[in-house]
Amino acid sequence: MVNSKQNLITQKSKGLYCESANIWIDPYKPVEKAIISHAHSDHFSKGCGEYICSIETGFLLRKRFGNNINLKVIDYDKKLLINGINFSLHPSGHILGSSQIKIMAGSEKWLITGDLKRQKDNTCESYERIKSDFLICESTFGLPIFNWESTDKIIDDITNWVSQSEDSTSILFCYSLGKAQRLLSHLNSKNFKNIYVHKSIKKMNLIYKKFGVEHLEAKIFDNDLEINNLKNNLLLLPLSLNNKNFLKKFKKVKTGFASGWMSIRALKKRSGFDKGFAISDHADWNGLIKTIKESKAKNIFLNHGDGESLAKFLRDKEDFNIKQLKEIK
Amino acid sequence: MSLNKFSKLFEELDSNNSTNKKVNALTKYFKENSNLDNIWTIYLLIGKRNKRFISGKSLREYYADIYKMPTWLIETCYAKVGDSAEVISLLLQDKLLEKDIKEDISLDQLINKILPKLYKLDENKKKSYIKLLWEKNTKDNQLVFNKILTGTFRIGVSKGLVIKAISNMIKIDESIILHRLMGDFEPNEETYMFLINQKLELKELDYKPYPFQLANTFDEKIKETTLINEYQFESKWDGIRSQIIKRSNNISIWTRGEELVNKTFPELLKIISNFKNDFVLDGEILIWDEKKNCPKDFSQLQKRLGRKSPSIKIQKDLPVVFIAYDILEINGNDIRSKTLSERRNILEEKLLNSISKDPSIISEKIKITKLLKINNWDDVEEAKNSSREINTEGLVIKNKNSKYLPGRKRGSWWKYKIDPMQLDGVLIYARPGSGKRADLYTDYSFAIWKNNELIKFANAYSGLNNEEIRELDKWIRKNTLERYGPVRSVKPELVFEISFDNIQISKRHKAGIALRFPRITKWRKDKNIMDADNLENAIKMIKN
Repeated sequence: MVNSKQNLITQKSKGLYCESANIWIDPYKPVEKAIISHAHSDHFSKGCGEYICSIETGFLLRKRFGNNINLKVIDYDKKLLINGINFSLHPSGHILGSSQIKIMAGSEKWLITGDLKRQKDNTCESYERIKSDFLICESTFGLPIFNWESTDKIIDDITNWVSQSEDSTSILFCYSLGKAQRLLSHLNSKNFKNIYVHKSIKKMNLIYKKFGVEHLEAKIFDNDLEINNLKNNLLLLPLSLNNKNFLKKFKKVKTGFASGWMSIRALKKRSGFDKGFAISDHADWNGLIKTIKESKAKNIFLNHGDGESLAKFLRDKEDFNIKQLKEIK
Repeated sequence: MSLNKFSKLFEELDSNNSTNKKVNALTKYFKENSNLDNIWTIYLLIGKRNKRFISGKSLREYYADIYKMPTWLIETCYAKVGDSAEVISLLLQDKLLEKDIKEDISLDQLINKILPKLYKLDENKKKSYIKLLWEKNTKDNQLVFNKILTGTFRIGVSKGLVIKAISNMIKIDESIILHRLMGDFEPNEETYMFLINQKLELKELDYKPYPFQLANTFDEKIKETTLINEYQFESKWDGIRSQIIKRSNNISIWTRGEELVNKTFPELLKIISNFKNDFVLDGEILIWDEKKNCPKDFSQLQKRLGRKSPSIKIQKDLPVVFIAYDILEINGNDIRSKTLSERRNILEEKLLNSISKDPSIISEKIKITKLLKINNWDDVEEAKNSSREINTEGLVIKNKNSKYLPGRKRGSWWKYKIDPMQLDGVLIYARPGSGKRADLYTDYSFAIWKNNELIKFANAYSGLNNEEIRELDKWIRKNTLERYGPVRSVKPELVFEISFDNIQISKRHKAGIALRFPRITKWRKDKNIMDADNLENAIKMIKN
């Protein structure tokens, strides 16, 4: 397949680049024109000339950067023609507004999955299956030890965890954007005395609400609140508050962290949380394999995480033409 | 009725960082479960001599074979997770169907009846039997089950927690429980009944050692807050801390690691049997240099430790002595609540006075530690600083009025160790740690200069704080030159201060020197590799 001709998409130091259209995808550094797959801060750089993204992602970016950014939003499935190359966005199921990016140059079809999730999630559109010739797929959790439990099971675990601690405040750390809203939409408020969220989470909740994601009722936690009256309550907080100085304000407290990495005990221990809940907004091992197979792509590149293992596994077993992304030239 | 419960207990202990909560969970568990389940639980949790039914490596291979997964992939997972049982339990989550009938089983049945069958099976049968056992267990039980299989039950429940829980439950002092847990441990109902017996039997003391008293690190403040004559000063011997127990005709030598070492040191046993009095002595086993009248290096002692029954020749070449510094019991009387001065008098008067044979032979093997002549705190400094000359680790400063108490009681004993020796080394290799540090680079090798070449001289894996470890981990990943399996060689750029307790000539090491207890004491960000030490300087540190 790969001949001496340069690929439509290449990997540069600033990120993925489509030279023919002079467009960057999720750049790490300021560039002229960027397509942003979703609004997690490790997927975009400040100071780009123009941001192209889904409507939801646009709102979230504005919340972070203010209204001054040069934003071009497009609906899912709508084509955007630049220099004869067609770009379109499709749901990736990761968080609200998260997009896969389809790029068509003539008959050649590329798909960049961005971060993706195959589990059902009430807070964002489900992953859309798309066929492509060239696939750039994320592989954050590309090892067979990663098998996600159903969301319901994890929600039960969290509920039990809180109810078993009548004498202490239960703090569940999670990412403010995406994970927090997914948890809130599944947790049944009847099972808790109160659910509080940090203001950074509340800010995101409001945007979710604007887009019709309901059931995110939660009180705002602020530092003035009578802290030790939070027994038998659940507190959702961003990771930045996971420090001794903050936690020592509570008389009795137990901490948890909601992340796919928490399936590994060693990681949980090292990060110092009492309890880990392995719930992820990424695809697990089987989810990744399913995604790759469904794409029917002839050329596959893996981005992030343990890509090398997954690539070798599929090369050996299925004879796929699959590599780690760093090799795209 | 019980693997399920044990698994839940495990989960509860594993998801609470608070000691109190762990102790409460354990106490509750002990109250709710049968004696037999409880003793097995204790056996597993304190992880003393857990049987290994199958090695982690075999378990991984079986999994690969049964579920047709490439071995290299399982090994990659293993490197990430750091524990075979956990890898297997994570991998199995995807393979097991919850609808299959799951049976619960008692720990006793499992460990005494079912798992021992594995020893008798050939490879193929063993594999299919393990598959069957995996399938019989619920997803939630897999971790615990596979940990029992591989005999690697370490879950951060220290013996101390178990002791606290039992003590809580039966309202008997922790030191007594500790006492009861010392030595051999048969996981049966009798042992449990004995552990939770609310009556203290005299004969339990017959062969069991007392919990050791330990010293705290010297606190300079006591120079101001206390008087020098409140203390006695002893050398800090660098040997094996032991208790010699002679009660009627029973003699036992216990190390602080709670090992019975009678067989390792037959010559001591023989000499002790010639004593008239009964006693329990606290002291140190050392290899003695008769000519210099001081102990030989600890490495010599290690050679003795490796042997269960040493030959006459070895006994002669590596002669051991026991240096007593305390007496805890005399002729059946527990004297630990007497003051140290009183005990010292008894030690001096009753120990060597009451022997039946030639006293000189005995005093060659059994010595009483000399008290150092110290008049003021300057003398203390001087004695400490000269201790390397007589091969000791420094001083132990003991309060004359203190009772003998288990553990580290502040204010009773202080250890005042000599300043460590130090060399500045360059980081050249790194490898991941194990257990909870399985995917961080935490084990390092350091080099010093030999002419114009950097040559490895030390391995160290402790001394940095978590933040530094993370920073260094990142740096290592970015500055890797080559990978050799899990080991990475890195760009020689970072300099660290390495401290160690001793340095010796060694033919086995590339640099020709071996360090005792090397650890990182500082990340010398102010230094570059040209500032690192050289081998010549290191060799100068070796005393003749």
